[in-house]
Amino acid sequence: MTIDIPFIWVAFKEIIKALPTTLILTIVPLIAGFLIGIAVALVRVYKVKYLYQIANGYVSFFRGTPIIMHIMVIYFGFPLLLDQISLKFGLGIQTNKIPIILFILIALTLAAGSYLSEIIRSGIISVANGQMEAAYSVGMTKFQAMIRIILPQALAQSIPNFTNIFVGFLHTSSIAFLVSQKEITGAANIIAGVNLKFLEAFIAAGIIYWGLTILVEGLSFLLEKKVTAYNRGGVS
Amino acid sequence: MGKAFDIMLIFEFIPTLIHYLGVTLQILAASIILGLILGIAAAIPRLFRIPLLNQLVILYVSFIRGTPILIQLFLVFYGLPAILMLLFSIDITRMEAIYFVIITYALSNGAGFAEIFRAAIRAVDHGQTEAGYSVGMTGRQNFFRIVLPQAVRIAFPNMANSVIGSLKDTSLAFTIGVMDMMGRGDTLISATAHALEVYISLAIIYYTIVLLFEKLFRMLEKYHNRYQKADVTAVA
Repeated sequence: MTIDIPFIWVAFKEIIKALPTTLILTIVPLIAGFLIGIAVALVRVYKVKYLYQIANGYVSFFRGTPIIMHIMVIYFGFPLLLDQISLKFGLGIQTNKIPIILFILIALTLAAGSYLSEIIRSGIISVANGQMEAAYSVGMTKFQAMIRIILPQALAQSIPNFTNIFVGFLHTSSIAFLVSQKEITGAANIIAGVNLKFLEAFIAAGIIYWGLTILVEGLSFLLEKKVTAYNRGGVS
Repeated sequence: MGKAFDIMLIFEFIPTLIHYLGVTLQILAASIILGLILGIAAAIPRLFRIPLLNQLVILYVSFIRGTPILIQLFLVFYGLPAILMLLFSIDITRMEAIYFVIITYALSNGAGFAEIFRAAIRAVDHGQTEAGYSVGMTGRQNFFRIVLPQAVRIAFPNMANSVIGSLKDTSLAFTIGVMDMMGRGDTLISATAHALEVYISLAIIYYTIVLLFEKLFRMLEKYHNRYQKADVTAVA
């Protein structure tokens, strides 16, 4: 059993073709999840009646179960549900025509919403109390104070967390290959199976993920440096 | 085969699946303990900027953070036997899959913990270090008496999160053929063709375990925060 180095490059060229799918599986859920996240975070911070319990339950459940479960339950459950509905109302939806990627996107969006809401919430809470008081003292309303004073600080402080979530979901999209979606890991698995060179194919996939992650982290690092230039801390 | 979706099956599946909870917790415990050791060892060169080791740790952490756990799992599973064969001509291809899983998750947790420790120490306000020096403490005294106790408080929630994250990640161990809850679930699906019920049962089990862990960690967190003033947030 030796490592076929040239094959890594062959696999790399083949696998990189699946990059757009991975990016779609990462970015779409995060954008949709961010909107869910802000709404859920505000509901939880202000303890809006009735909605508060639902929001808590949603965040707790989706953060408390592996994402592979969300994908699997929606992948198997959604067509079943749609079939029932379409049978009842005679809609004639054919669930086997729905592309698999849609189910994965729904599952990942729901998961992203719960993770992002928790980050936004903790960001809001971490802004010092004096900031809110200062905003009130210059005559701002609660809404103005939230939009102009608290949220910008909360989001700036949360940049490292957002990066983590971005990278986390980039990596989570690899689970999609378990429901036979051909993204980076899926493509690697196919080329590995065809050529019986598993190690080389996954090295190539690993390099692609690593490169993407370094890129994302580099961008976020620059952004963070700019936004939190006034902070100092620790032993250094 | 009966109905498309049979809720009673969930109650039937849960006791069957819970038998395999031990395997999941075994993987978790072993990888956390090994990960802690690895994390401390990796954080020291980073904090004190030990040349060469520092760069090595950066590379290690970057790689682990830069690739999905699924890819790491495959790389260890296919790569470790190849490397050991090549360098020491030791044959471990017949080793049980669970050891590969533990090695992967220990490596993954180690990198995560190293970053958490480092970030927590850097998160302690610089004024604390200055205050420590101003009362005549040495660097070592300042670190162990002032910075570290505060860093533990800061690191704890992140550690708790990564333990829970790791628990959820164990749900991917079945991809290399470990017979944990997911693996058993897979065989149940082939036996009964009720995939949705199996995944719902698994979600319930994972959720329950995560809730228990969260409760425990919250108690510990409260203990760590016992000297913190209650009124530190912008919005009550």
